[in-house]
Amino acid sequence: MNKSGLVIRLAVVIIFTAVIVGLITTQLFYRFTFLNEQALGEQSIKQLYKTVSPTASIASYLGDEELANEVVNGLVSNDIVTAAAIQTDTLLVKSEHYQKSTDTVEFVLFSPFQKDREVGILFVQSNENHLTVKANKISATNAFVVAIEAFIITLVSILVTYYVITRPILNIGKALHSITPGTSERISKPRSHQKSEIGQLADDVNDLLAKAEQQMLREKNLRDEVQVLESRFRMLFENATSAIVLVEPQGDILFYNETFEQLIETLKLPLKKNYGNYLQDLFIMKKDLHDHIRIAFSNNESAAIELELNTYQEEKRWVQVVVTQLITDDFQENYQITLHDISKRKKQISLLDQKANYDGLTNLLNRQAAEHNLKQLVATKAPFALIMMDLNDFKPINDIFGHDSGDELLIHVASQLMKSLRKADVLSRWGGDEFVIVLPNAGKEEVSNVCAKLAAQLSKPHHLSQHNKSVFVTASMGVSFYPDDQVELLELIRLADKAMYQVKRDKSVNKELYLAFSSDISYVKNNSKAP
Amino acid sequence: MAKFNQTIAILILALVSTSAQAEEPLAVVVNKANPVNEISRSELIDLFMGKYVAFPNDVKAIPVELKGEHDIKVEFYQNLVDMPLSRVNAYWSRLRFTGRKRTAVFKPNEEELIAFIIANEHAIGYVPQSLITEDLKVVYILNE
Repeated sequence: MNKSGLVIRLAVVIIFTAVIVGLITTQLFYRFTFLNEQALGEQSIKQLYKTVSPTASIASYLGDEELANEVVNGLVSNDIVTAAAIQTDTLLVKSEHYQKSTDTVEFVLFSPFQKDREVGILFVQSNENHLTVKANKISATNAFVVAIEAFIITLVSILVTYYVITRPILNIGKALHSITPGTSERISKPRSHQKSEIGQLADDVNDLLAKAEQQMLREKNLRDEVQVLESRFRMLFENATSAIVLVEPQGDILFYNETFEQLIETLKLPLKKNYGNYLQDLFIMKKDLHDHIRIAFSNNESAAIELELNTYQEEKRWVQVVVTQLITDDFQENYQITLHDISKRKKQISLLDQKANYDGLTNLLNRQAAEHNLKQLVATKAPFALIMMDLNDFKPINDIFGHDSGDELLIHVASQLMKSLRKADVLSRWGGDEFVIVLPNAGKEEVSNVCAKLAAQLSKPHHLSQHNKSVFVTASMGVSFYPDDQVELLELIRLADKAMYQVKRDKSVNKELYLAFSSDISYVKNNSKAP
Repeated sequence: MAKFNQTIAILILALVSTSAQAEEPLAVVVNKANPVNEISRSELIDLFMGKYVAFPNDVKAIPVELKGEHDIKVEFYQNLVDMPLSRVNAYWSRLRFTGRKRTAVFKPNEEELIAFIIANEHAIGYVPQSLITEDLKVVYILNE
């Protein structure tokens, strides 16, 4: 049982009250009884006196000891009298134990014949002890009765409290313990408390349970909805083909999807919590990124820029980066950064570019690309030298050994030529066995040197694997300078072409000749025309 | 109040008793040779109710009584102790159990009573005043 339970508390209070009330009642009753008994005792003694007074009077009057003894003995035989005595002028008759004291009652005895003539005194000692004992006995009985009454009241109160109040409440509590909130379970109303406060309590508890059930049902539905929504969003987010990252202004990553993780993995970079502002460490061109973002954000737009990724791989990786500024509900600035992989497109574009601008066989720039390049140079007015080169005796090789061998030879020539050129120089296949070489900022002497090198490289024999035969080619080169010779591009090309044909023509005379400058040729021409 | 009661008692007695004797005072008499000349009411009561058996001068006293319920006897006790004769008799009956003996002498009538007193020096008795002779000494008068 619970120490501070209702039953125990009630029992303690009732027992305590019963004891106190019992003590007070008993004490009061004892006092009352004692006083009552005392009064009764006095009255009894007076009555006794009245009974014996005629005889006592006679005895005193006559001084008759015999009669006096009779009176005294008669008195003493009463319970309430301990001792008695009769005293006259001549006589003193007393019972055993008689001792005059304060509680002795005195009665004056008069002559039986003369009412005003005193003849003696009757002394009676009442039995105080007897009174006390009697009062005690009555009080004890009373106390016993009160105790029994208190006991019965306590017992009945406890039983009633237990069966009528505590047990139903405990049962309700037990029932509550076994109930899972949110279900349709309800506690049953105690049968004897259909309309009492405890019944009301059970009803209230049931109301509360019903409310809880409704609430939980509503919450469950809401939770399910949220869950469905969340799983859809998660699906969207996780299955997005683009890497999506949510970062804080300082660059701390709050959130990223699987695609981002895969991207980092393929880049062979460590997965970190922070890659700098806007993930800048991932990209090669950080400055571009920041510039773009600054401009876009100042226009309240998302920044979109194509950037190459830092990677330890051979293959280049390009992404389109979209940075969007997000303001959260609590006014925090975050950035959503989406990385679309555009490597494939970049590759395709570069392939197309290759096809459009390069010669399929030699991998040198084709004529179109070379012309475009020249136009650009002219547009910027940058000085350069243009070398027009044509292979000698290539056609016979093509005819004798076939086109494949001719192609092989062309590839060999292209690689040989590349070896003798500087980085800034541009070599292109102009068509058939014709090549154009552009040397930026080159003087006549420098061009002569380069051409000498080129001629020397070409003169080395090439082993045709298919035919097990070594062949070598020579070339004729014509040079024109921009802007010294000509500022018009087509004219410039024509000048170089002309110089090159001059070499071919003069070759029959001078076998060693391989180079001619258009400026010299114009002079010769002028000379030949002059005569 | 006591006086009033007494008056009523006397009135009743006057109606009940014979007219001539009822109103006559009673005299308490002794032998002429007795030295006692006067006696108090208390001494008279003590002698007749058995407290003392002697005169105040310590001479032996013999109370003389009328036998039975003589009118004079009734009147005597009524006047002396204010009690009916029955109660006086009851008083003596009670005393008899304690062993006390009465010293009184009983005479059937007034003549014999007077004769006994004249003959006995120690005797004391009561007679109506009309019957007093030279040979008797009156020591007390009741119902004056």
